[in-house]
Amino acid sequence: MRATVLRTQVSAAARRPGRLILTGLAILVASFVVFGTVLAQDITERTARDNLSGTPAGTDLVIGDPEQPPLALTELRDVRAVPGVAEAVGRVAIGVSVAGGYVNLEADPGVGPLATVRLVQGRYPERPGEIAVSPRTVERLGLTVGTVTTGTGGDLSTGAPLTVTGVVDTPVDGGTNAYAPDDAVIAWGHLSGVERIDLRAAPGAVQAVRQRVSAAVPADQPVRSGAEVRDAEADAAAEQVGKLFALVGMFVAIAVAAAALVVTSTFRIVFAQRMQHLALLRAVGAGRSTLVGALTAEGALTGLVAGVVGVAAALAVGQALPPILRAFGAVVSSPGLPLGAAVAVVLGAVVLTVVAVLAPAFSAARVSPLEALRAASVTAGRRGIGASRLVSGALLIIGALLAGVAAVRRMPTPGQESYDPTTGLLLLVASGALAFLALVALGPLLVRPVLAVAGWPLRQLGALGRLAVGGIGGTPRRASAVSVVVALGVTLISGVVIGGASMRVVADRDMALSAPADYEVAGEAGTTLPVAVLARARAESGALTRVVPYRMVNDVALLRGGERLGGAEAGYSTTDLDLSALPTLADLAVAQGSLADRGPGRVVLGDWVARTAGLRAGDTVTLGHDRSTVDVRVAAILPDRGPLYAGILADRADLDRIGGPTAYTGLLADAARAGEDGRAAGVRALRQAVGTTAGLHISVLADERDRNDAVLNALVWITAGLVSLTVLIAVVGVGSTTALSVVERVRESGLLRAVGLSRTGLRAMLTVESGLYGVIGATFGLLLGVPYAWLAVRALGLNAPLSLPVLPLVGLFAALVGLTALAGVLPARRASRVSPVTALGVEG
Amino acid sequence: MTTHASPPTGQAAVAAVDLVKVYGSGDTAVRALDGVSVGFGRAGFTAIMGSSGSGKSTLMHCLAGLDTATSGRVLLGGTELTGQSDRTLTRARRDRIGFVFQSFNLLPQLTAAQNITLPLDLAGREPDRELFAHLVDVLGLGQRLGHRPSELSGGQQQRVALARALVSRPEVVFADEPTGNLDSRSGAEVLGILRDSVRDLGQTVVMVTHDPVAAAYADRVVLLADGRIAGDIAAPDQGAITEALRSLAVAA
Repeated sequence: MRATVLRTQVSAAARRPGRLILTGLAILVASFVVFGTVLAQDITERTARDNLSGTPAGTDLVIGDPEQPPLALTELRDVRAVPGVAEAVGRVAIGVSVAGGYVNLEADPGVGPLATVRLVQGRYPERPGEIAVSPRTVERLGLTVGTVTTGTGGDLSTGAPLTVTGVVDTPVDGGTNAYAPDDAVIAWGHLSGVERIDLRAAPGAVQAVRQRVSAAVPADQPVRSGAEVRDAEADAAAEQVGKLFALVGMFVAIAVAAAALVVTSTFRIVFAQRMQHLALLRAVGAGRSTLVGALTAEGALTGLVAGVVGVAAALAVGQALPPILRAFGAVVSSPGLPLGAAVAVVLGAVVLTVVAVLAPAFSAARVSPLEALRAASVTAGRRGIGASRLVSGALLIIGALLAGVAAVRRMPTPGQESYDPTTGLLLLVASGALAFLALVALGPLLVRPVLAVAGWPLRQLGALGRLAVGGIGGTPRRASAVSVVVALGVTLISGVVIGGASMRVVADRDMALSAPADYEVAGEAGTTLPVAVLARARAESGALTRVVPYRMVNDVALLRGGERLGGAEAGYSTTDLDLSALPTLADLAVAQGSLADRGPGRVVLGDWVARTAGLRAGDTVTLGHDRSTVDVRVAAILPDRGPLYAGILADRADLDRIGGPTAYTGLLADAARAGEDGRAAGVRALRQAVGTTAGLHISVLADERDRNDAVLNALVWITAGLVSLTVLIAVVGVGSTTALSVVERVRESGLLRAVGLSRTGLRAMLTVESGLYGVIGATFGLLLGVPYAWLAVRALGLNAPLSLPVLPLVGLFAALVGLTALAGVLPARRASRVSPVTALGVEG
Repeated sequence: MTTHASPPTGQAAVAAVDLVKVYGSGDTAVRALDGVSVGFGRAGFTAIMGSSGSGKSTLMHCLAGLDTATSGRVLLGGTELTGQSDRTLTRARRDRIGFVFQSFNLLPQLTAAQNITLPLDLAGREPDRELFAHLVDVLGLGQRLGHRPSELSGGQQQRVALARALVSRPEVVFADEPTGNLDSRSGAEVLGILRDSVRDLGQTVVMVTHDPVAAAYADRVVLLADGRIAGDIAAPDQGAITEALRSLAVAA
């Protein structure tokens, strides 16, 4: 009997491979994603290994290590003298101040197998004082070939001339790169040693040279082969990749869990459709456990097929993609053939499917043999939920609330110091997971209320809308099962969107303070800005705009009744920067008081200053500097520090009264034009303005801002991309659910066609139904995602505002509804093609 | 037993002319309809009878625009249904034809009232309130309008289906074994209602059945055998029908 039942079930499944794939589609996609991730890690690791920019491939031996003391020049000379050494280059880098900026001067042979740069213009330096620079450095610092400038660096105490002889391409161009041969760098900078020596041996002499070199250098200097060093560098790169993919793995795991939820739901549908068949088997004597066994075996078969197809597809894409990308000029290595991982993914797919099929199998096997005698071909699904599900749902809600309350209680108070967000965030994650499980348990009860609200406009559209809403509402358990998966995706994405928006506000606020303008010109403490420099900068209106000079005094004390307030011994840095002159400072966040209140006799304090000095907005305090004092009132307190890291923002008149410097100490300016060209033009103009004035540096603050922006953008997009995996599974789930439901409701489709629903109408109705899964899921998802994202932002303690990025969230909602509707298009087309006679299933 | 000629097709509510329907092709081809010409007069209640495979359901499907014939013509109130697009056929079914099925075929997610007005809703038409009230009253559905099909008995479900077929005042109501899934009392009720709709509302009804008791409610019986008309009885009684069926079986 057992074997017979198994055979009927499995052969029924095998006879309809389409249905089998449809049931296991989510598992197929999950297997594809998991194995795709394995291959992606392999590709990334290989690409990182194949394209290292550290030690050149021609290096046979490496002497020394950054951890060890530098190698003396005599040792470099000794190594070069060792018989069999074809080439030995010292690696060392020094920071060099040049007019209007800073370069990193690196020792590099420039030609030969040990070079890391390639000459593109002029000639490579030979003598001390000659340098080659990267293209971006040419742009930024105006160091064209032939330029002679003065630089200070290494062990030089006074400036020495530097001549640019060439331009070189370098692996990473930071805009501050200069190169010269090791002897030239050492001689120019009066250096006494190098960090390490890269060595190339004569052909066939590597082993002999290694022994001789080891004898020639001190015992504490390691001698390693070039391959070893490259491997170590590659391992370090691979470790980075591994860490990155550990994070990726977390998101993939969520997607896999979503796939399991989807498959549980699709199996429930498939088994429900076979209820009469199963009841018949029970009626003729099949035991419950026999049925469970047969259904589970069917699940295992589904998992096996889906896993194999998914892995094979990932393998095909993984092998095909790198050559295609290479054809477009990208540097990408091909992956290997990780057979072990492939087998593991297939096995995982089988195990996951079996686990997912157990609950539906057990409930299907509970079918009463009497069902076989009922007329209806499909047993109507239960609408409500059982008591045990209700109770566990309630318990999960209580758990979620408890964890949530505990997290809220741990949230930082304004100005709290040494706050560790880890516990709070973990509590929130736990609370969110419990809330989601509660949604899974109680979903069927929530489908109808959501439909009542969200379906209202559809119902107004006429019979079609009413039918679609009714079709979904009629099977709330199914609707809930597929919608919660959509909800999981939406929860995660809305969390990323809201978190990203809050982080952006924090980053912008931060950037407004540390980089209020594109450029800053300032010197060491005590340097003043000549009036002529300011005038020349203001005259460069084609390249510069909003040139704002300021004074910065580093040692202003806060006094009350002759007592120094606060802990800063040296006093607080104070500036008279005009906040209204720069747009970035227009909307500074304020913790207390009002910025409009500032003016003569009033100051604005940074949060840290206010706290250490025990001051609040409205308090009066005395500013002291050099024995002069002035009484001021605190107009406002900023939530963090002030612009340019100043602790106190004072009015110009007050700074005069306490004997501040009469000349400006620095200026801020913005580029007049956008883009890299505009920025380079601004730097050139400032360099012109500064001219030969000693001690003034030009900082491109905008570069830092761009880097931070790029990092934040990349972070948000990567996270959103990873989270989209779950959305993909959810959409697949909606598609297969609609497809299976359509099969089951073919009679209903036939009837609707018979009583006058057009083909287009039927298609529209089924597509709308599919989209409604998206509406329900996205509603659940936003209801969960928005509050939890807000709590998480609060728990991070970044003092970020709770933002609700309405447009992206509305877009997300619309996109999800659109995607889920799209998932229903194919099944709807198929259903609408069936003739009403066939659909009604009446014999002629 | 009286056999009389079919009424001229021009005056018929619905008529078939030389209708042929072939399923499959080559050796396995089955001629389900083999040149059937028959007309059904307005305000008449006709039963189509025949054994399994006689082609009676196929004839009904073709007449109702659910299926397309291989050759021949179908005229609904004088308009040609043959060769029409799916859109035209759909509209004809929606606006001019009513259906009653053996297995009720109500939509489980709609209430009884919503099921009744479904074809009108699909057409975007308002139901005739008076007719709706009359039908609900005659069919005894007053207390059941808010119920869903799963909360109704078989007889009640079929009465809802009858109301659905009648409320749009279709030119023809097609009933496919409407009593097949009902006990004899509910069946008799349904058949009585069909007959009353012909008498009181002037409705045209074409019913496919194999049950002589059901057929006896009709005022004309058309017999089908092997895809051809095998007899036509006016004002039949149960005995005449049983007799005709027996002679058919003997002939075969």
